[in-house]
Amino acid sequence: MEYFYTVVILMALYVILAASFNFVIGYGGLVSIAHPVFYAIGAYASALLARDMGVPVILAILAGGLIALLASVALALSSLRVSGDYLLIGSIGFQLGTLEVIKNLHWTGGAGGLSNIPSFLTQTLGPQAYVAFAVAVAMCTVLLLRWIAHGPYGRAMSAMRDDELAFAALGRNAMVMKITIFALGSGLAGLAGGIYAHYFRFIAPGQFDLLQSSALLTMVVVGGLRSTWGPIVGAIALEALPQAITFINLPPSVLGPLQGILFTSLVLIFMFVRPQGLIAASARWRGRQEEAR
Amino acid sequence: MDATTISLRRRSLLAGAGAVGIAALAPSAAKAQAATPLRFGLAMPLTGSQATYGQDQVRAAQWAVDEINKAGGINGKPLAAIVLDTQADAQTGIQAATRLASVEKVPAFVTAWSDVVKAVAPIANDSKVVELSVGANSAEIAKLGDYVYTTFPLADVDITAVARYAATTLQKKRAAVLYINNETGTVAAEIYRNVFTKAGGTVVAHESYDPKATDWTGTLLKVRIAQPDIIHIQGLVADTPQVIAQLRQLGMTQPVSSYSAAYNPKLIQQLGAAANGVIATSLAPGVNNSPAVAAYVERWKKEVGREPNGLPYTQYLYDAPYLVAAVFKSLDDKKIAITGENFRTEMLAIRTFELPLTGKLIFADDHTVSKPVYLMEVRNGAWVQAAVVG
Amino acid sequence: MFSLPILAQILWTSLATSTCFVLFALAFALVLKVNRIFNFAQAAMMTVGFYAAYTVIGLAGGPGWLGFLAALAASVGVAVLLEIFGFRPLRRRRASSMFVFIFALVISELIAYVIMLVYGTWPATIFPSLFWPVTLVGPVAVSQWDVPAVVSTIAAIAALFAFLHVTRSGQFMTAVADNPDLAEFYGITKDRIHLITMIVAGLLTGLAMFLYGSRAQVQPMSSIDLLLFAIAATIIGGIGNLGGTAITAVVLGIVQNASVLFIPSEWQGFLLYVFLFTAIVFFPKGIRLPERRLARSTPTPSIGADEAGEA
Repeated sequence: MEYFYTVVILMALYVILAASFNFVIGYGGLVSIAHPVFYAIGAYASALLARDMGVPVILAILAGGLIALLASVALALSSLRVSGDYLLIGSIGFQLGTLEVIKNLHWTGGAGGLSNIPSFLTQTLGPQAYVAFAVAVAMCTVLLLRWIAHGPYGRAMSAMRDDELAFAALGRNAMVMKITIFALGSGLAGLAGGIYAHYFRFIAPGQFDLLQSSALLTMVVVGGLRSTWGPIVGAIALEALPQAITFINLPPSVLGPLQGILFTSLVLIFMFVRPQGLIAASARWRGRQEEAR
Repeated sequence: MDATTISLRRRSLLAGAGAVGIAALAPSAAKAQAATPLRFGLAMPLTGSQATYGQDQVRAAQWAVDEINKAGGINGKPLAAIVLDTQADAQTGIQAATRLASVEKVPAFVTAWSDVVKAVAPIANDSKVVELSVGANSAEIAKLGDYVYTTFPLADVDITAVARYAATTLQKKRAAVLYINNETGTVAAEIYRNVFTKAGGTVVAHESYDPKATDWTGTLLKVRIAQPDIIHIQGLVADTPQVIAQLRQLGMTQPVSSYSAAYNPKLIQQLGAAANGVIATSLAPGVNNSPAVAAYVERWKKEVGREPNGLPYTQYLYDAPYLVAAVFKSLDDKKIAITGENFRTEMLAIRTFELPLTGKLIFADDHTVSKPVYLMEVRNGAWVQAAVVG
Repeated sequence: MFSLPILAQILWTSLATSTCFVLFALAFALVLKVNRIFNFAQAAMMTVGFYAAYTVIGLAGGPGWLGFLAALAASVGVAVLLEIFGFRPLRRRRASSMFVFIFALVISELIAYVIMLVYGTWPATIFPSLFWPVTLVGPVAVSQWDVPAVVSTIAAIAALFAFLHVTRSGQFMTAVADNPDLAEFYGITKDRIHLITMIVAGLLTGLAMFLYGSRAQVQPMSSIDLLLFAIAATIIGGIGNLGGTAITAVVLGIVQNASVLFIPSEWQGFLLYVFLFTAIVFFPKGIRLPERRLARSTPTPSIGADEAGEA
């Protein structure tokens, strides 16, 4: 049924987001929480290109991913120059600042959101086609990231993360690697944004704020930082768990905050009891004895 | 088998999917006996930041459903509301609406909050299910498609009324418009400007403020310099009292008008004497206008211990099941199948509805509705009805 | 538009309203400087502080001073719990800054949800009325909230700087901020200092929130927004530079208010991000995070030298 397709598509999108976020903060060790903003940039770019400029949807989605990638490079270049930790504040500022801009511009639909986004596949081949599309992209993303992480480049990432100074001493350029990782992760988030936009056909800035960052962080941390399947488990769990909670027959006034409480408590418990997440990263990724570095 | 059991079965099948919640509705459907209930959807924020309003509105709707069933339902068949949570969030709303349309297969559903109303419009149109927006006031709602209707007047209705009231009745010539920088504020501010100017006045200041602002001195001083004789504030419940407070502190004694966000009893408590002269709009009759409303508010105080949050909105939500029931009854009398398409046709055929707490409702062809606007003013520390427009 | 009375009014009111933010920023900056954490969980301290005061005064009808003490106590309580059960264990296991940040963010959300559960989401103020009468000082309107706010903030700042420079704990804090491991060699218990820092931050936050909640409405999620301004002021003002942070907070407030005279009002909110970004991109040299800082050429803490008799 329609409803089931919607859920599967959302899960596929969150898998892409969680996996790419894991790549950036887990494998890359980059301290950024602005992943949703690249999701937003991809969604808006794709939607506007398709709706207002008549670009064919599939190209628009790809373009959305590319624009998100370029934006992330700009952010990385400006914030990574000083030190990696600066990326955190820079990323928060970039996320909120970009959302402010979107809210203030007329042609993005402003704070009220962008509607009438052209659809793709659903009208011609039916929603099942879109589901297949989304799931295919999700699977490709996971496999691609896994392939990179387990290959020679992955070893280099690990080395950079473990000891940047030694890494530089060996002649490798940490900056270039960090920017590449960030760009790839953000580009994938942008692709996911385009896929979202052309199915749900309505996007609003409020969907991409700090709460969304927090949700993605939860998926990655609870799922398992630096494992391939961890983010997938995290993404699916985060979609399924709210449903499970509603089976306990609670009055709505209690249900809402309680849902939030259970969720955040879950993250905290995981962070202290099992910081490696549901699916622990394999030994090679654990680096030095530090838990989540 | 009542609606709840059906819902529970479906829920267990759908375990592990989506982020929506169902509020059990066991008692109400049990009243009217026999036959399968006639169902409609109710997608409202039960959780999240808007839940304070959403839950009260759902309660009002549930009361109405109970009352209808106590009176015999629809030709003996019970009315049932399938309640789903939207969190006032577009995406959750989409999931709720998709579920209502394709799983529960309701012919019509009620929803609110502009983001949700806009986001689920494609679903309503594609599945040919009537979407009744009750409470959102974005002007765009009238243009969302064939199956999207509002029972609540859109932004232009009350803003037009208050702007015209200022220009014609209060004889104000220079208005300042101060609005919050989001969709609600921007659109309404524009409407006010157009109407006030057309009615012969001049808008001497048109300033926005950031939703996160906590200090409006700069903007207010700009307004003060322009020397308006009335100031219209289009903000939210969270900031309007502070804006008015700072305004008065900066020595501006002009009358202040706002819209329904300012119309709540707390405002007077928060501003004290500074609240005097504040004008707000209400789109529903008050306790002094209608005995039914007075009884309704009494019931709230008795059963819940307080007045509802956003009283006028709850009145509209109380009336929504009555509207739905009326259409259902008409279809049932004529032995027409109750589908979304037929619901829409019949609703437009009936066109005029007499509703218990909000009075007469007439659907216009352009998907808008027009209702009287009650202009309330704070006099001597209490809200008093100053005028009724339209 | 640019007349003296206007500017004077903007200056005064901005100064007064920025007091809360100065304190928020100082609390945040202090924890960052000494404990080297981005204490996003300050939002939790702020929220609890406010609702404690609200419960005592707004709900139970207690006197103002009691509510004030409640705000302080609640804020400090949360700070202590955060340090003992959160930051200390994480520090022990050498968790990365990302991990600590996630922890802080999630705690803030958890507290917000708990508050939502108990109090609902309707906006609330500490006192039933948020209107403070004004007197005119020349052309400038001064409200009865302004002066107590400014006075108490100045007093708090003075107390803070006195504490940091005069008392032993305060000096130890500076030592730990400079070089924690070295400080330990001198017999300074890092854990104790970290705790004291959090307590001081809690006091500042409690005061600030009491002030803020007396003139504005607060909802469970409000603190996160307020904190962002504090974070921006900390970054722009210079990490490790408390004086700079305080001044930045005031200046930012004035500039934001005065900006409506120059730019269309819609872009007022955006201005903050422009400043933040400019600071990060164009002024990196003067702003360096403590973790990356190599040995500084400052004299070692005077305590050691005095006790040894000679440098």
